[in-house]
Amino acid sequence: MSAQDTRPFFLNLIKIHLPVTGVVSIFHRISGVVLFLSIPFFAYLLDLSVQDSSGFQQAADLLALPLVKLVLAILIASLVHHFYAGIRFLLTDFDIGLQKASSIKAAWLVIAAELITLVVILAGVCL
Amino acid sequence: MSAPGLQGLRPWVIQRVTAVYLALFTIYFALALLVNHPFNENNWQQWVAWPVNNIALLLFIVALLWHVWIGIRDVILDYLPNVVARLLALTLVAAVLLGSGFWSLKALVMVLVK
Repeated sequence: MSAQDTRPFFLNLIKIHLPVTGVVSIFHRISGVVLFLSIPFFAYLLDLSVQDSSGFQQAADLLALPLVKLVLAILIASLVHHFYAGIRFLLTDFDIGLQKASSIKAAWLVIAAELITLVVILAGVCL
Repeated sequence: MSAPGLQGLRPWVIQRVTAVYLALFTIYFALALLVNHPFNENNWQQWVAWPVNNIALLLFIVALLWHVWIGIRDVILDYLPNVVARLLALTLVAAVLLGSGFWSLKALVMVLVK
């Protein structure tokens, strides 16, 4: 890079200010990878849960562990985000919410729907 | 950078078609969790063994693994420019997905013959 080149070299994640559409987009990707990583665990869980009497109990006991509950919470948040952001991307394929103003509105709508869903799930689990 | 079979319209369409099924199944499964709450050993295994659910789960596993394969493949192609690294990562992902897939299918069949 030449000495005169004063263009900012933005790889500092804190300095990058993504627009809300970009935030929804990158978290769609991150949540997708996180959900992918959980697949073997759920394959194991499904297999365990349909085995004879002790299997289901073992699976239930596993899900009751605090650490597993924490992981499960992250996975549910990932799934909820991936779900709503995915619907938004499917709609943009049909030119719905593709313009700048409507895409920003749609991104906020994804975040709102996500938060409401998470609150409902949390309330359902706690009550 | 041309990689046969790794780009094109077909995976793009498959990713979206599977997405629709996955979204619908997710809603169906969430409702099932709600209706049958709390699942116990008997009603859970009956739920999985009921033919409609068993087939829906089978389709879900196929759709999920296909959807994930395309998505993770895109991520790998975006971030790993090195051909050897790509090949290793793609092979590892394929192995994990196929392994998990057969494991789940085994469970779906076992619950039927039990």
